[in-house]
Amino acid sequence: MNKISVYALAALMAAAATAQQKIVVDGSTTVGPIAKAFAEYFMAANPDVNITVSESGSGNGAKSLVNQTCDVADMSRPMKDSEFKAAADKGIQPVAHVVALDGLPILVHPSNPVQELTVEQVRKIYLGEITNWSEVGGPDQKIVAISRDTNSGTYETFEEKVMDKQKIREDCEYVGSNGAIRQRVQSTPAAIGYAGLGFVDKTVKALKINGIYPSAETVQTGEYPVARPLFMYTNGYPKLGSPLYRFVTIHLGADGQEMVEEIGFVPVTSY
Amino acid sequence: MAQSPSKSLVMSDAASLRLRLGGWLGQGLLFLVTSLSTFAVFFIFYFIFKDAVPFFKLEGTREFFTSTRWYPSGHPPEFGALPIMVGTGLVTLGAVVVAVPLGIAAAVCLSDLLPFRMRQVVKPVIEILAAIPSVAYGFFALVVFATVLQNHGGSVLSIGAWLVLGPVFFLLVMVAGDLLLDRLKHMLPKPRLAGAVIFPALGILAFLVLRQIAARLAGIEISSGTNALNVSIILGIMALPTVVSVSEDALQAAGRELREGSYALGATRAETLVKAVIPASISGILAAVILGVMRAIGETMVVWMASGNAARIPEPWYNVLQPVRTLTATIAGDMGEADHVTGSARFHVLFAMAACLLAFSFAMNLASELIVKRSRKKLGK
Amino acid sequence: MRLGTRKLLDKAFSGLGLMAIALMAMALVLILTPIIWRGSKAYLFKGTIEHRRVMLEQFGRGDAKAFNRETRQAAEARAPVYRMLEEFEAEMKAMDRTVRRNYKDAYGEVEEALHVLLGPRPGKRTPVLLRQQYGQTRWDRTMVKLHEVLYATEWDYSTPGAMGVQIEKPRVDQFRGTRLEPLFDYLPAHIDEMMRPRTTFYWRFITDTSKDSHIFGGIWPEVLGTIYLTLGAMLFAVPMGVIAAVYLCEYAKEGRIISFLRICISTLAGVPSIVFGLFGLAFFLNTIHVSDSKSVLAGSLTLSLLVLPTIIRSSEEAILAVPRSYKEAAFGLGAGRWRTVLTVILPAALPGILTGIVISMGRAAGETAPIIFTAAVSVGMPLKLWETMNQPTPALPWNIYNLCTEHEAVDEIRHVQYGMVLTLVALVLLLNLAAITMRARIAKKLRG
Repeated sequence: MNKISVYALAALMAAAATAQQKIVVDGSTTVGPIAKAFAEYFMAANPDVNITVSESGSGNGAKSLVNQTCDVADMSRPMKDSEFKAAADKGIQPVAHVVALDGLPILVHPSNPVQELTVEQVRKIYLGEITNWSEVGGPDQKIVAISRDTNSGTYETFEEKVMDKQKIREDCEYVGSNGAIRQRVQSTPAAIGYAGLGFVDKTVKALKINGIYPSAETVQTGEYPVARPLFMYTNGYPKLGSPLYRFVTIHLGADGQEMVEEIGFVPVTSY
Repeated sequence: MAQSPSKSLVMSDAASLRLRLGGWLGQGLLFLVTSLSTFAVFFIFYFIFKDAVPFFKLEGTREFFTSTRWYPSGHPPEFGALPIMVGTGLVTLGAVVVAVPLGIAAAVCLSDLLPFRMRQVVKPVIEILAAIPSVAYGFFALVVFATVLQNHGGSVLSIGAWLVLGPVFFLLVMVAGDLLLDRLKHMLPKPRLAGAVIFPALGILAFLVLRQIAARLAGIEISSGTNALNVSIILGIMALPTVVSVSEDALQAAGRELREGSYALGATRAETLVKAVIPASISGILAAVILGVMRAIGETMVVWMASGNAARIPEPWYNVLQPVRTLTATIAGDMGEADHVTGSARFHVLFAMAACLLAFSFAMNLASELIVKRSRKKLGK
Repeated sequence: MRLGTRKLLDKAFSGLGLMAIALMAMALVLILTPIIWRGSKAYLFKGTIEHRRVMLEQFGRGDAKAFNRETRQAAEARAPVYRMLEEFEAEMKAMDRTVRRNYKDAYGEVEEALHVLLGPRPGKRTPVLLRQQYGQTRWDRTMVKLHEVLYATEWDYSTPGAMGVQIEKPRVDQFRGTRLEPLFDYLPAHIDEMMRPRTTFYWRFITDTSKDSHIFGGIWPEVLGTIYLTLGAMLFAVPMGVIAAVYLCEYAKEGRIISFLRICISTLAGVPSIVFGLFGLAFFLNTIHVSDSKSVLAGSLTLSLLVLPTIIRSSEEAILAVPRSYKEAAFGLGAGRWRTVLTVILPAALPGILTGIVISMGRAAGETAPIIFTAAVSVGMPLKLWETMNQPTPALPWNIYNLCTEHEAVDEIRHVQYGMVLTLVALVLLLNLAAITMRARIAKKLRG
């Protein structure tokens, strides 16, 4: 107890000097890694600014921005009309900053011999019309379908680009994040899932969709069918030169682009 | 303290009034602070129900309670919460199956069987089990237990079967053998010899059956380690301390006289416990079970992390090897997208779920209070 | 029933009870063992030279001179590796284009794997991302990554209708007869000199901030956040709880209102923790706006409601345990109610009340669900005290969840996750231990 209070007191005294600025970032788990990397990069250069990043889903990001409980809303889908309307009602003016492009690779366990599916087949798998891998040229195994939780922009992108807004089968498992998808797929031989491009590694296999392998190039050229931009939204365009402005423009600089690329996404400006 | 002698021992009227007023005021203040917790309860109910009611107004109650289709973000959305409630019920039932027999047995052991010194050793075990944060349990369930279940699911199940069914079968053999002997006593010339044959024979039979069951279980492959079984076991362990400590209190409250009376009638310790002590404290034990259920039903992190979150009623409904989704996990997981700025049904449905949880735990709580009160009356305390 | 069987049943019954206890103890051991064993590896592990480099460059810690000497030695050991790479690159350039194509991809993989193992190649531009500026900091991860340099994992799908089988192809086979071939013998033989593993006791894991979202460094922001949240919750809950207990024990006359109050308190105790979270969001943040974003304050308020019933109950018990004679003696000496409560009853009940407080501190520290919507974020700096009024914070329970499900490099930072779990469990158990010893002391005092 004593120690704790000493620490608290020390913390209090140590920095009684400067008032800190804060930037609160909330939203998509897909954009999360980018936001976290940007935040650390920014804080390393500007120790007087505290940036907090939460990963709670795109919808939550929009909600927080409208409620003015965050400064930057990470979103892996564009804002919806209803969200714009709610924002306008509260006098908030959401401005989008596209920080990166992302593909949505369809992931299977590396031991799965299936290499390629069509969008149609993926849809049928998630609709429950295809339930066995043998129906798409794989072994005789029941397909374990895994989806992102419905609170994610990733889910909504998938719903729009692949599912054609039809409803996913009932026995689909839902997990809360991209990392969890990868984890479930890498530990389940019969699984199929989808996640952001940045979450593909050796432990899972990304499938060719309609004959196109998801990669930075194919996402950028638009050949890969399941792709989307990633956003950061702010309330109005931030004041030039302000910390917020510098934060949401990191992706335009060379360092920002390198970070985006290294994390596994596609920088927007690298034509 | 030395009082000045000049002061009169009798208070003036004004001073007395002031003192009384002060007392009243102070007491009122205390009452106010105390009732803050009441306000908190009211506020919680109010805020949850306030946001839950619009859902029922928008969507009606029928779909929520009877439909099995849960597509909150679909076009149009569907809000069938039935599979989620079944999932909650299933894992809670699983937790009860794990925690209640184990908990009551442990409580009996603690209150009547173990010597005082051993009890001092065992109590901290229970306290530690109770103190471990739920996220640590969840981490264990997701990172360790789910992996083990998935990779060695069959062996885990068969070991579990040995551990659980072994003692049960042993007891069954004892009782069945004894009953058989009783029946055959008059027909056989040498009862002692018969006993020597019957018990081992039954024992071997039980062993074979058990081995068969274990072998069957060992053949099962678990396709996904994050399932109802995983969560049930972990929730059971989490509910154990509650069940143990509350039912131990109940057992001890049954009193010495009861036990001594039973012993005096020639009962063994087991008979005393089963036939006298446990029936006498059954209401307390029931309260313990209810509290255990509440602990399991309200738990969020473990189910969110390790239940698989599939909003579907397992097939068949008792298949615990399939992933399920619970109310608490749905609230935690879906809150992110549900936008209350536009006041959509999707936001309010989560509050409707919270309201269900709240109503249920409130009812359970009242029930347990009532049971405890009644048992106190019965025991004359 | 025969007497013999009855006796046997009696024994069997005792056996069942003991077995239940044994099972319980086993569950505890099974759960705690991996947490303690692997959690301790976050603190005590074999650190490589890269760990010391991170410490020196990122935290300004360590003996620069000794480190430079060590770096020179390591660089000497690594030099042949880079020489081989350069030689092979030159060789490749000289190759015919069709031949070169065979090597290009394979070489790219080797180069990438080497970067992961040893850090960036000398002379190359320093990457922006911190995680790419250093090689493997831990010996166990080094061995994993070394394996990835030496072997390519491929999958054999040749059996139709079956799952593929994993095969590990030695990469050396791809480079037979080239200048790169000796590399694959050199690496395992000299990995010790290149990485210079040394047993490291990294106790500052608990007081270091994290670098590059927990890939390097420690967990101080989380620990501090947990401390703030816990103490904050106590700040609100303790006065309210103790006052309520005093009122219920000393002033209240049993009646309708009081039994209603009691029902409310036990209802509050039964509210699921996630509902507290929803309430905290709906009330503290969206209705009365205690802060303009999620904040420690909002989280503390929510947590304080959660632990309030526990504090009320334990304080009540402690006050009721104060012998009647104390109170009567105080009244007999002419003390008023107020004075009796303040000077006699509360001091006598203090240890019991403290026990309850300490236990509920453990509860508040470990709760996750109430802070999801009210206080927790996944990345943030350690906060100054006054910043807790309007800023959110990372906290151990939430970040354990976040790191083991949402982090992009879940497998790379298992040790951090286990370390966090261990730290949280240790924190909570220490609090409970304190409570247990305190209670033992009280019991002794009451007996003696």
